[in-house]
Amino acid sequence: MALRMTAQRRALQGLGNGVLVLMLLWTAIPFYWMIATSLKYDKEIYGYEATLIPQRPTLANYATVFRETPYLLYLRNSVAVAVGSTILSMIIAVLGAYAIARLNFPGRAFLARGLVFTYLVPTSLLFIPMFALMSALRLTDSLHGLIIAYLGFDVPFCTWLLMGYFKSVPVELEEAARVDGCNRVGALVRIVLPMSLPALVVVTFFSFTHAWNEFLYAYVFTSTTSARTVTTGLVNFMSQDVFFWGPLMASTVMSALPPVLMFLVFQRWVVKGLTLGGVKG
Amino acid sequence: MATVPSTTVSLPLPSSRRGLGWRGDRIQRVLTQDRTLGYLFLFPAILVIVGLVAYPFASAIVMTFQAKTAGAPGRFIGLDNYRELFNSDQFLRTVVNTVVYTTAAVGAKFLLGLSMALVLNQERFCNNLFRSFLLIPWAIPTVMSALNWRWIFDDASGLINNVLVRLNLIDETISWLSNPNLAMLSVIVVVVWQGTPFFTMSFLAGLQAIPKELYEAAEIDGASVLQQFTHITLPRLHPIFVTATMLSAILTSAAIQFVLILTNGGPADRTMIFSVLSYHLALGGAQRLGMGAAVSLIFFPILVVFIVFLTRRMLREKGE
Repeated sequence: MALRMTAQRRALQGLGNGVLVLMLLWTAIPFYWMIATSLKYDKEIYGYEATLIPQRPTLANYATVFRETPYLLYLRNSVAVAVGSTILSMIIAVLGAYAIARLNFPGRAFLARGLVFTYLVPTSLLFIPMFALMSALRLTDSLHGLIIAYLGFDVPFCTWLLMGYFKSVPVELEEAARVDGCNRVGALVRIVLPMSLPALVVVTFFSFTHAWNEFLYAYVFTSTTSARTVTTGLVNFMSQDVFFWGPLMASTVMSALPPVLMFLVFQRWVVKGLTLGGVKG
Repeated sequence: MATVPSTTVSLPLPSSRRGLGWRGDRIQRVLTQDRTLGYLFLFPAILVIVGLVAYPFASAIVMTFQAKTAGAPGRFIGLDNYRELFNSDQFLRTVVNTVVYTTAAVGAKFLLGLSMALVLNQERFCNNLFRSFLLIPWAIPTVMSALNWRWIFDDASGLINNVLVRLNLIDETISWLSNPNLAMLSVIVVVVWQGTPFFTMSFLAGLQAIPKELYEAAEIDGASVLQQFTHITLPRLHPIFVTATMLSAILTSAAIQFVLILTNGGPADRTMIFSVLSYHLALGGAQRLGMGAAVSLIFFPILVVFIVFLTRRMLREKGE
């Protein structure tokens, strides 16, 4: 029987390796095509001389992106919106999560439920009234408008995630600090926050990448170049009459890089934070 | 619910506070009360929820009974928007498309994600490296993935046609995104490529949380690998199956950017799903905000069942 088991195990391991190779190819080929295209001259991209592997690799497409498109402006806008909404949602979420995790007051459970509920309502149900609201407040075509709009997703999510971590910080530590003369805010800043560092990292990662990747609000609220972010900027490149896949893929590679690098660096925490509950996928 | 009562204990005032007048004393006391502090701390979050989710949502409901364009006040027209939708072939096609698209995409992501998780759960050289790599599609902005795939599917010079022609498998290139019979399939492929890692991550975490002793005990009892899978692995993963599937169903059905970038709902509405139809009606020229909102809201009752269920589950995990 033991022999049968090992035979079974070995077969499974072999099958697993085979499946893994297929999965790696399935994941890698689109990346390859994106990067390869960005490194080709047009001659190798279109028509009879099109190649699968760049014969004469070039960075010309990258140069074109910077020279002939407002890509740098889009990049700057994306960074501004991502940083702004991350900082704001962080402050709001830390306070809210602390209140829900530690303070006892009527309506606490109801508010906690409300937070999770709003996090799960998809933006495609909200973008029409949000567009009307933003137009009425004259916040369309503005980075401030986007920063504010993104709070609607970031705050509920970050609060929910932090709430769990704050609860895992032993109450005794905080009480000791308060006996020593620390008030609530002091206990939050000196005791709870340092102990929740992994959660703060995850929350920063999610709100930053969310703002960086967001498309629908940015697309609907923005109609001028000055307030376009990277995602809507690239879609705008595509919808122009001339398709220029070389530069488009070059800018796609550059725009995908920041979130991918962040993900690889923070992966351990991100996966943990994500599997604690659920994350918009 | 189970907040430790000790957090509400009012600490004995340190003697230094005696110096304050009775008024300052009272303010101090009120401010340090849980109730005041709780509402104070939560106020910004409540403002966000009400202003950016609850109010827009309520105004969407009102809009569905109006003929409204952006910037102008709406005119009440009763149920006309809904009546028009239910009499339109386009809307009925959209309902069918949304259901087919969501079921197929979530089902495929589930199966692929489960296989990936099982494979990654085996012991192997460099496994962590493979795991990181397989998760990358999830970290890439969805817009970038959609653009990249649009180019892969390109009629004339895309990767797929390029390779198929080279291998002499086809004489004429295939229009993956504009052929009415292939467009939906192509969109689903992209959605699956991007969304599988989410399932992989969730399932892998679930697998790693199963105690090894269970398998060892089963092995001693002579259970086959298949029996171990159906009697230990599957039941243990069940809660994660439910959570991940529901979450993905909400987000997949509501995702707009893949269809918008790949096919824009075409050809001949073959890939029109509710989020895209709602966008077209509300902002694609005619600016019928009420109609657009009505399309989304008709789907909301289905979503709300999932949302309420998930809310309960996610709060239970946090000990609420």
